[in-house]
Amino acid sequence: MTARSVILDADPGVDDMGAILLALASPELDVEAVCAVAGNVPVEATVRNALKTVALAGQPGIPVLRGSARPLVAEQVLGKHAAVGVFPDDIVPPTEIDPQSGSAALFIAERAIVAARDGRRLSICASGPLTDIALALTMDARVARGIERIAIMGGAFTALGNRRPFAEFNMLADPHAAASVFASGVAVTLFPLDVTQQALLQDHHLATLRASCGAAGKALAAMFEFSDRGNLARYGRPGGPIHDIMPVAFLIAPDLFTLRPAVLGIETGGSTAGHTFADFDAPAGDVPVAEIAVAVDEERLFALLLGRLSAYGEREKAQSETRS
Amino acid sequence: MSASPSAPLSSPGSRPIVIDCDPGVDDAIAILLALASPELDVRGITTVAGNVGVERTSRNALQIAELAGRPDIPVFAGCHRPLVVAPIGGQFHGESGLGPLMLPEPSRQIQPPHAVSFFIEILEDALARTRPITLCTLGPMTNIAVLLRVRPDLIPGIERILSMGGAYVEAGNRTMTSEFNILADPHAASIVFSSGIAITSLALDATHQAMATPERAAAVQQGLGGPVGAAVKTLLAHWDRNDPRRYGSRGGPMHDPLVIAALLRPELFETRKARVFVEHSSALCLGQTVADWYGKSGETPNVDIVTRVDADGFFALLGERLARYGLREAS
Repeated sequence: MTARSVILDADPGVDDMGAILLALASPELDVEAVCAVAGNVPVEATVRNALKTVALAGQPGIPVLRGSARPLVAEQVLGKHAAVGVFPDDIVPPTEIDPQSGSAALFIAERAIVAARDGRRLSICASGPLTDIALALTMDARVARGIERIAIMGGAFTALGNRRPFAEFNMLADPHAAASVFASGVAVTLFPLDVTQQALLQDHHLATLRASCGAAGKALAAMFEFSDRGNLARYGRPGGPIHDIMPVAFLIAPDLFTLRPAVLGIETGGSTAGHTFADFDAPAGDVPVAEIAVAVDEERLFALLLGRLSAYGEREKAQSETRS
Repeated sequence: MSASPSAPLSSPGSRPIVIDCDPGVDDAIAILLALASPELDVRGITTVAGNVGVERTSRNALQIAELAGRPDIPVFAGCHRPLVVAPIGGQFHGESGLGPLMLPEPSRQIQPPHAVSFFIEILEDALARTRPITLCTLGPMTNIAVLLRVRPDLIPGIERILSMGGAYVEAGNRTMTSEFNILADPHAASIVFSSGIAITSLALDATHQAMATPERAAAVQQGLGGPVGAAVKTLLAHWDRNDPRRYGSRGGPMHDPLVIAALLRPELFETRKARVFVEHSSALCLGQTVADWYGKSGETPNVDIVTRVDADGFFALLGERLARYGLREAS
């Protein structure tokens, strides 16, 4: 099996960190680069955090590109946990590596054009605001032709919102970019809150991360302690969602998810800016059609995640055995 | 003036500019005016989807540069669609974008880099030499908006943007409120007008004062010769809107060439400073440019809005400059 070429477009971000670690531990994916866009935290911090994460994964050669510092036109909104900023050095060690020169939007455009030319297809996993992907799609018609699929964490239907009553954060943070991507004609698979809230990371998962997934697992577990956990009223049971990890898991194992086609739209202004809406019963031929994840096999998802991340633990064990 | 038809008419040491455009009948005349003017050092032409698709506007730009005897002017293709809204396309430029004008196949093809990458290159160089570049935007502002989001650190490399677009006191031309270039990509225009860059805005308020009436068109044509002369005659004949009720006379407004004229002869233009906002979310007023004439917004004025044009002075300049192509050929 040849690995699927993928660009991770993220705003790390705790769950983005998990998404990057999962992708880098999965032979099904050939990660061309990590693009870091402003979102959960300002772009200087997402770039830093992306660099720290690829270093933590033991793959400092993965290019990290700096993305947009702000949304296309909306006022900037940062994440609920923006105060985290750059991951603390005592949890995720600092690194000397620098971002690759150039900018994320131009990099995505260039790689997609090359993929289109070579008849190769590139997937994009978007776990932050869609600013850089929208910019890339605007630049050249060949960009859309080179992108096989964009798997996006974003949106909310019956789950309403998280950052605002009617809006999920990634969509709220750049609703115009989302509108632009949805209208581009590129195949979109969306992982909204409705599905991300179906799989909760619980204490026993954190224990496995700490025990058997090496330094990367320990750091990820420690970072998840900071994030949106223990909201029993909202989630109905203990634990917290792993939002951004889902689109990566989908690119590795699509059968974990139940998808439904729908005409997808987003509100770009006013008090409901960032609100996504979907018509699951639209007549055939209506556009834009996206696939929307409506259900996930929670048990298999966590088995995949923890199974793959255990590679970090095994690698450390092997290294210490070689040394001793 | 040099006898060689390919000798540059502009000389080094003149003002470095890039023309970002969607030719376009009036864009074509603007490019010809710029390339006939030694005060301007045209460092490149960048194209964008607007009046017609970007493949067409790029091809048209190549053809016009060659028509002007300047196959050395680099042309870079830019964005193929607006940032967020769907493309609308122009109404007065025909299928080719140049009306009925037929030009020879261009000898060059469009090559990489992308227009945005070219801007990055030239602005990095401008910053290194502390010689900022002037940008002339004659179409939708998509390329500039992408640039500003991708590399906001290069803003100091831009001396000023002279832009054809918008309508302030004047009504719109594509919708009741909105002029075509702004309406075609209102989000891009909003990004550019809110960037803080110094802008000279040539809106319909200015361009509707520069009507190419049959008399003025005849006077311009009198001095013209050679292939450029023939082309300009065709373009001007096509441009007559024949709508005196709307414009006060026959002829068409010389939108884009005014941008070049404002660089060459600023004394022909009166301006007033204001902050400009672009409506990008209203159904009724999408693409409307709103000027803060009386400081209601509390924002620093950043746009010199052209309020009056010395039309006769402008047409005299246009005729004199375009006539240089014919003279050059004759000598």
